[in-house]
Amino acid sequence: MALGKFVLKRLLQGVFVVWSVITLVFLLRFMTPGSAVAFVAPPGADLELREAIAEDLGLNDPIHVQYVDYIAGLLQGDMGYSYVSGTEASIRVFARLPATVELAVAATLVAVVIAIPLGVVSATRRHQPADYGATFFSLIGISTPNFWLGIMLILVVAVQLKWLPTSSRPIGLGPAIELLVFEARPEGIRIWARHMVLPAITLGTYFTALITRLTRSGMVDELGRDYVDATRAKGLPETLVRYKHVLRNTLIPIITVLGLQLGTLIGGAVITEAVFSWPGLGTLLIDAIRTRDWPIIQGSLIVIGIGFVLINTVVDMLYAYVNPRVIAE
Amino acid sequence: MPRDTAIDRRGFLKFAGASAAVATTGLAGCVGGDDDGGDPLGGDGDGDLEITVTQGTFATTVDPQDHNDTPTYNVLDQAYEPLLYRDAEGEIVEYLASDYEQVADDQVRFQLREGVSFHSGDDLTAEDVAYSINRTVDDEVGIVSPQQDGLSGVESAEAGEEGTVDVFADGPSPAMLANFASFGRIVQQSWMEEREGETIREANGTGPYQLEEFEEDVRATFTAFDDYWDADNTGDVVEVTFEGAPESSTRVNALLAGETDLITDVPPSETPRIEDEDGMYFESIASTRVIFLVMTNDRAPFDSQEFRQAMNYAVDVEGIIDELLEGFGEPTSQPTLAGHFGHDPNVEAYPHDPEQAQQLIEQSGYAGEEITLHTPTGRYLGDEEIGRAAASQIDGLENVSCDLEIRDFGDLVSEILDGEMSTSPGFYLIGWGNPTFDANYTLVPWFMPGQASYHFQNDEVEGLIEQSEAEMDEDAREGQLQEVNALLNELAPWVFLHNQYSIYGVNESLDWTARSDEDILAKDISSA
Repeated sequence: MALGKFVLKRLLQGVFVVWSVITLVFLLRFMTPGSAVAFVAPPGADLELREAIAEDLGLNDPIHVQYVDYIAGLLQGDMGYSYVSGTEASIRVFARLPATVELAVAATLVAVVIAIPLGVVSATRRHQPADYGATFFSLIGISTPNFWLGIMLILVVAVQLKWLPTSSRPIGLGPAIELLVFEARPEGIRIWARHMVLPAITLGTYFTALITRLTRSGMVDELGRDYVDATRAKGLPETLVRYKHVLRNTLIPIITVLGLQLGTLIGGAVITEAVFSWPGLGTLLIDAIRTRDWPIIQGSLIVIGIGFVLINTVVDMLYAYVNPRVIAE
Repeated sequence: MPRDTAIDRRGFLKFAGASAAVATTGLAGCVGGDDDGGDPLGGDGDGDLEITVTQGTFATTVDPQDHNDTPTYNVLDQAYEPLLYRDAEGEIVEYLASDYEQVADDQVRFQLREGVSFHSGDDLTAEDVAYSINRTVDDEVGIVSPQQDGLSGVESAEAGEEGTVDVFADGPSPAMLANFASFGRIVQQSWMEEREGETIREANGTGPYQLEEFEEDVRATFTAFDDYWDADNTGDVVEVTFEGAPESSTRVNALLAGETDLITDVPPSETPRIEDEDGMYFESIASTRVIFLVMTNDRAPFDSQEFRQAMNYAVDVEGIIDELLEGFGEPTSQPTLAGHFGHDPNVEAYPHDPEQAQQLIEQSGYAGEEITLHTPTGRYLGDEEIGRAAASQIDGLENVSCDLEIRDFGDLVSEILDGEMSTSPGFYLIGWGNPTFDANYTLVPWFMPGQASYHFQNDEVEGLIEQSEAEMDEDAREGQLQEVNALLNELAPWVFLHNQYSIYGVNESLDWTARSDEDILAKDISSA
């Protein structure tokens, strides 16, 4: 029951946050200099045509009318129409979402697969070459800007060695799986994976470094606790002590950070997407900002915001489930 | 083409297009196609090229009348055609119109070409053409087209007898034919009306290629149209895919890795990488875009002709072209570019002469003035660096100081294009493309009152432009436009900078020549 109340409370908070995001994003349009008409209208358009375009886009209505219309539209899944292309913003935004989610999840997987074993090795072999190596890797990973790493990987791995493609992903995971399942053709998955490797490494490197550090420090803390001596005194093998007891306790904060970072990655992959010409929300958002295409900007930010809130809510729930003291607090 | 990744990608485009989200749509509206890889175009080449073109930005729409930007034209022009067009030298050529005549000062009659059919299989009719023109110029017909201004002065079109279409203007319209060579793509009336009010994600033109897949914001793939009316004059491309990659390094790397065949907007600094790579070359050509610094003459110190001339003497345009643009630019002397109708070839560009600049500033009475140059960043080739150099050279004069303000392009143009001179910055860098090759398209928006970018009040200039707009005699009109250009050189409303170059990276397996109007037509590409 307590858990149910906790979940309900979190969901209500989530709804409030999403509404705040929507309102803030809506108001941003009126606080930001630069009119969409300047982009939509041809360069030589006279004032009459500019006025007609503004009217056509609904930009001449009072703010409160536009706000009510926008919220009413959103409640029906309508994010408006792109000023530039005239297409439904919701379709364009949701069409880009899978690519961004795939990239964020892939980057997270890269981080988990590399970082946790590396952190464990680093913590259990303190002040040994493996520890120094892992610490050095973490330092480099945290200090390397995404765009630089992405460009370097493209230059070396794609252009020079020609091992992997540079950009322009031709197929998404969904169609690749359909191809495999319905036509028994695995090439789709292969092509998808080949295009995913470099962007996932680029986006995941910082995250990998962060989780490595977190795992190492968590493990070091846990290894110094009394219960570890007790388990060893019980005669448990060292591997079991490390992986069943110590790592498990270390994982709780790591899962929290993983969840939060996944949310951040969905909104924060903009630069990586640009470098790899990745057809995700990040590149859509950049294009939309460049052309003041507010329905697309609003739609993208709202979806990113909702994604962030959802992931955080799920993490909160998981955390509460794992650690019931959170509910009591 | 012998490229694994490219083959991979093409092999999956259709599937990806059909299976992905709703925005990815296979096109039922397009018929025909050539699945056996033959040469449906019937040109004299091998007819087996499958190419990819990567632009800085992708098409914003599939509606040929609901946009007005070059990358979108490049994508959609594979499928949609105008009545008139321009050849690579800028001369007007007949396309869907086989003939035309100026029936009256305010009326042109087009004779439509016979044997033209849409990708849907239906024949082109005069009603389709009239509808297409009306849809472009009339807000009541479907959309508020951003191309209205391109057909400036056109009021309506009517289908006549025997495949003729009459176009009516609101008065004498000497630039009408030039405008029709750049604007007015033809759509099928019934096809478009069926989709009125919906978002269009299909194409149905008369062009050499029909749209097979359109993945919004990502890519468009066209295949050769079997029944193209001008099949004898096409190259070897049977399939062309357009993509967009905003990062210039991404485009260059994709070219070098063999993933694309032709890329646009190559920064000058990247040309050596392309040149040094086997199997690649770069292609450059003076574009139809002029870059300049506007001086708004409703305020001090830009209300002084001497001061404005001084700014022209102060900026080292040749140096900027050599050092910042690595030679990819031509100095200009007037608003109208060389080769465009109305350009005065006798007018010389201002030389770099700081001494003369300082003397003129003294004469203007504005010595000691502090001015600020506003420049956008990332919009034009090297814009921020050019603005920085110009401001620094002006600031280097002893009797004036110049600051630089880097501006977001959207923010800057919103101030410029609101129709109020007073809200514009006094001094700013901007570029202007003229796809019509006619001085009118530059002079009217910048120098005639009532226009959004009007910034220079001068009765003589306005009178001359007005006169040229009513002059139907071509020679007389050219003389008037040359007179305006010569006068503007003297009045110096702008610091005349340069003619921007378009730079492309190309795979050597393609035989292609860049056009000054920045158009890319796959039908003009052959195997090298």
